Amino acid sequence: MKSRRAARAWELPDSAVLAESQYLRRREFLRLVGYGLLASAILPPTMRAASAGFPDSLNPAFKLDGVKLTPEDSIASYNNFYEWGLAKEQPKELSNKGWKTEPWSIEIGGLCTNARKIDVNDLIKVVGGIERRNYRHRCVEAWSMVIPWEGFPLSKLVALAHPKPEAKYVKFTSFFDPEHCPGQRSNDLHWPYTEGLTLPEATNELAFVATGLYGKPLRNQNGAPIRLVVPWKYGFKGAKSLKKIEFVPEQPKTTWNELAPDEYGFYANVNPNVDHPRWSQASERVIGGGFFSGRQPTLMFNGYEKQVAHLYAGMDLRKNF
Amino acid sequence: MNSFVKVLAHKLFALSVLIGIGAWFLVLPAFTGHLGANPLDKLLHQSGEIAIWTLGSVLALTPLRVLFPHLRIVTALNRHRRAIGVTACIYGLLHFSFHVLYEGGLVGLVRSFSKPFIWFGAGGLTILVILAVTSNQLSIRTLGAKNWKRLHRLVYVAAAVLIYHQAIAGKGHLATARWLLFSLASLQLARLTKTLVWKKRPATSSPTAAQQVPLGPGPTGLGKSSHQSPESVLDRCQRSPRRRLPADENRRYFHPA
Repeated sequence: MKSRRAARAWELPDSAVLAESQYLRRREFLRLVGYGLLASAILPPTMRAASAGFPDSLNPAFKLDGVKLTPEDSIASYNNFYEWGLAKEQPKELSNKGWKTEPWSIEIGGLCTNARKIDVNDLIKVVGGIERRNYRHRCVEAWSMVIPWEGFPLSKLVALAHPKPEAKYVKFTSFFDPEHCPGQRSNDLHWPYTEGLTLPEATNELAFVATGLYGKPLRNQNGAPIRLVVPWKYGFKGAKSLKKIEFVPEQPKTTWNELAPDEYGFYANVNPNVDHPRWSQASERVIGGGFFSGRQPTLMFNGYEKQVAHLYAGMDLRKNF
Repeated sequence: MNSFVKVLAHKLFALSVLIGIGAWFLVLPAFTGHLGANPLDKLLHQSGEIAIWTLGSVLALTPLRVLFPHLRIVTALNRHRRAIGVTACIYGLLHFSFHVLYEGGLVGLVRSFSKPFIWFGAGGLTILVILAVTSNQLSIRTLGAKNWKRLHRLVYVAAAVLIYHQAIAGKGHLATARWLLFSLASLQLARLTKTLVWKKRPATSSPTAAQQVPLGPGPTGLGKSSHQSPESVLDRCQRSPRRRLPADENRRYFHPA
């Protein structure tokens, strides 16, 4: 444990950031649930997405001053979600053809004392609602976005699960539904998609579980209804449409690392000094810029060096890329 | 059928197809806003894809001509080989210019050249440029037909290198590249087999050929000409009043590969 530190800008007391009154005013909440029930009765299924109707507010620690948010339309139409196809425009089209993400339950298990299977909406209630965070998003393909996510810190979920001392890693498993999912009928990758974090990474304040973006529940193509967001790592670490979160003793096999270990490391920390075999990671194209917008330099740990660098102290990042 | 072949053989047809592909996949989506959230990336990939398939199609034409010398569609399309080859190079150059833009300037461009992936692309394209620049009568005269033909056989090196460039581009490109390589390799194999078999075969009669191809004297001057090498059949098929070439001996060198 660290001794007392000076509070950093983002370390506001919980009451300021996650004011309970703001999220869980009992009457308002009941009213929302009531509306929700009513809505589920009359609205078409697509409008009844999980996590709809939860109030959220921007966590001022993650406002990202002076950074322009990526247009919502771009975030919703430029997706690497291989379950739906290799091209970036495919997930938008193909994941919205009858694939149901509501109701959705997620399993929390492995080496923890409080294993459970829980509905996503219930999970949000249990962890105390959602907040908004603007995060930089850097794809391993050297493009980037800035995304206003809604969700809750992964650390809350970890705390809820009570991992046992033997648990050293957290394994994330996405859905598996080849019947609806054309990509999963091919052998491009080993399905279902799996990702992993070390336990200290998972409990870092930045690790986030997203259930929405731009004030709306996650769209199917963005990993509805619940996904991982690890902003200091390349985007592929953020497993989408999670079905299972497990605490495991050893480094889990992760999809991209298994497929091409020389291209995609387990850590996959954003690092401008360690190139991909086919392209430089020193700079990135910002989605939403024009033809002649050029590139911007990529920041170490995607600009989150202060928050996460200590996790890798003494580690050779060239080796453990 | 006749008029269809005539259309296929027409220069205007070839040009409109070759330009049309670019218009359809690059220009139209650019003007209708269908390039997606990362338009330059889209253009980069589309242009590369067009370039490699254009190159693939020109490489398919020679073996097809040898394998099916009497198929008029094949002979008609073979008239456009120079145009198709030069077009492949132009789309390749376009692909390269999108790469320059994508890298955002000289620094990024130079940095990109630290990757073998880029060397293969650039190397293959360099060959295509040399071949495109020498795709004219003047170059043939200057170099001499034999040298010119030798030079233009580099197109196979370019194809190999560029298909490799495509194969390692990721994102399912390996599968596409495999198809392209497989098709071209089998065509070449069939073509080589046929050429070798024809060469080995002594002057015995081949009734089927005689029945099907009453084409008159072959290059050896044998009136009955029941056995014809693919080359001779080919020459005849190629011979059209408009494009007749000056020296008989030189003619075959105009079909480089």
